Amino acid sequence: MTEGDYRHVYVVIEHEDGKILQVSLEMLGEARRILNDFNKRYSSKEKVVAVLLGYNMNEIPKTLIQHGADAVICADNPELKYIRNTIYTKAISQIALDRDIAAEIEPEYAVQFKRPRYMFFTADSIGRHLSATVLAHLESGLASDINKLVVADIQLTHQNKTGGKPLIYEKTLEMYRPDFSGFLWTTILCLDNRNPSIQRDYHPQACSIIPGVFETIQPDSNRDGKIIKYVPKFDEQDLKVKIIDRKIIKSEIDFDGHKTIVSFGRGVKDSPEQNIRLVEQLATELDAQIGITLPLSKRPFSVSQTIDSTYLIPDRVIGTSGRKVSPKLYIAVGVSGAMQHIAGMKESEIIIAINPDENALIKDECDVFIKGRMEDVIPVIIEEIKRQKQDVKT
Amino acid sequence: MTLKNQMDPINTAVIVKLEPDFSEGNVSYNPDGTLNRAETKNILGPHSAIAVSAAFYAKVKYGAKIAIGTMGPPMAESILQQAQLMSNADELYLYSDRIFAGADTLATAEVLKAGIQKMQKKIDIVFSGHRASDGETGQTGPQTAWKLGMTFLGHVIDYEINLESRTVRAKRLVRIQGVYDVVEEVESPLPVFIAIDPSYKPKFNTVSQRLDYEKYQKEAVKRAQDFKQYLKVFNAAQIEADPKFIGISGSPTIVYKVERIPKGKATRQAKVIDGSNKEQIREVVTRLLQALSTMAIK
Repeated sequence: MTEGDYRHVYVVIEHEDGKILQVSLEMLGEARRILNDFNKRYSSKEKVVAVLLGYNMNEIPKTLIQHGADAVICADNPELKYIRNTIYTKAISQIALDRDIAAEIEPEYAVQFKRPRYMFFTADSIGRHLSATVLAHLESGLASDINKLVVADIQLTHQNKTGGKPLIYEKTLEMYRPDFSGFLWTTILCLDNRNPSIQRDYHPQACSIIPGVFETIQPDSNRDGKIIKYVPKFDEQDLKVKIIDRKIIKSEIDFDGHKTIVSFGRGVKDSPEQNIRLVEQLATELDAQIGITLPLSKRPFSVSQTIDSTYLIPDRVIGTSGRKVSPKLYIAVGVSGAMQHIAGMKESEIIIAINPDENALIKDECDVFIKGRMEDVIPVIIEEIKRQKQDVKT
Repeated sequence: MTLKNQMDPINTAVIVKLEPDFSEGNVSYNPDGTLNRAETKNILGPHSAIAVSAAFYAKVKYGAKIAIGTMGPPMAESILQQAQLMSNADELYLYSDRIFAGADTLATAEVLKAGIQKMQKKIDIVFSGHRASDGETGQTGPQTAWKLGMTFLGHVIDYEINLESRTVRAKRLVRIQGVYDVVEEVESPLPVFIAIDPSYKPKFNTVSQRLDYEKYQKEAVKRAQDFKQYLKVFNAAQIEADPKFIGISGSPTIVYKVERIPKGKATRQAKVIDGSNKEQIREVVTRLLQALSTMAIK
């Protein structure tokens, strides 16, 4: 491989019902910031390229340019109206390898172009699977659920990658991934094998990005960008996969209709059944909806069937893996404050935390921190709410 | 004779994973809050178990054959036994070789692909779990599907097979970030690869299904006691996996570093209340009730 084989960052866009998903705009914003810096430090003509598939997309390409794309590759075709993994994977892979497209993006880099340098997908129901199959097709590396990206020249000595010799990997994308606990960050790199005995190129360096972590850029209607039309080639066999029906369902858990949300986390663990009942009582007293943190949806406790199926369900998860809420009042009970959870509730107007551990991260994210065990604190609060409500009535 | 006996049988495979047991009381953490892998016991991953139950549905309803495969150390045979007990599986496969170690999702998918291709029968449906509880990437399933050249259907909450047309009709739950959820019904010719959604629950509605269910469960107990009779252990050479594409050599990605996520700047200045001080709690309650009522007027 030589340096010029890989160029640009390709951002795979998702949209629904004529609207671009917020996370796609966030990814464009981050791609823009990374490339602005990249253009200064390395090659000035590498671009932010949006990859857009769908049908009747009208103004979407223009909006993408306003939000930071230098070029939009647009495959507009009735077969692409809804996402089907096989044809989407093949179309995206064709686009990624197409030299004619590369020539339109930047003529100067076209002759040598082989593949994108970096590729971004969304870490959601669609993008997680699509990124996996596209990168299986392109036979390169993929890091999932990323919330920080840095481009750096990295000196590395690695038994397999470099055959134990120190080598410098230039323009490497450091992909930071928070682990399931929310407290550890793993940095993943996708690197060519430069060890002569197993030499192999691995590009693009790809990742899926968590919604809600990166800022969009201020849209600018004067930004210039190219819209490149692409006509995908379909295999007859692949079109036999048919979408028969598509029903939109609203979640049964309504967070927006409640002024208060009471959520609970792993802190209920000492006696989960009783503690969740306490949370339930508090919520009833405040006419609040009940939320949970992600680990709770994995049903870590044995509780009664009713509690389990009512509360320990993905639909109630607040955070990057669930819903984003912004109630007037948010009460976090036994919630440690992992960043994935905070991202889903930080816009709440007032945040109260109940937690015995004053070092818990949630303390920096709340207005009132009630230090104590929920078993002790919640009954007092309930009693007090009842009393004060009574006072108002009389 | 019912239809399911006349047609060519459906052959299913399930790929499962040995995972740390994350249920409370079983998981062990280091003092710094990270997972203590040495102390945490290993089990059949919960998402893997759901995939096994989806294959069992095909056995009861369509008389399907079930083969279960896993890549892992020799001790992973215990989860194959567990999975057989759940599903009355007909064949068990353990792909075990030191050369597989250190594989990322792409290199793991390569082994699973080679392993599934070595199964005795040509597979019509492969099931996988939604994601593993430890790695949590959810990539291995779709990547294995792609390498096998099978149609990939993710987030499947329900499915039926048409034995005559040899097609699958599946319902998928797709969460469209920040917009809404969609239940999509897809029809696809076999073979397909199904990554089963965590919310999947098989339903056995007819009397004959329930009778078959019981018959298979009884048989499963016997088979699982004797599971080694059903087990084949394969190394890299035996599944003809290309050493260039497996293990560390075949992994594009590496873990460069692991660090604690630095504490961010405090976004709010918390007032700290002593939870045992009733007077202070009273004030908090007054404040929150006031806030809620003034907001109501707005």
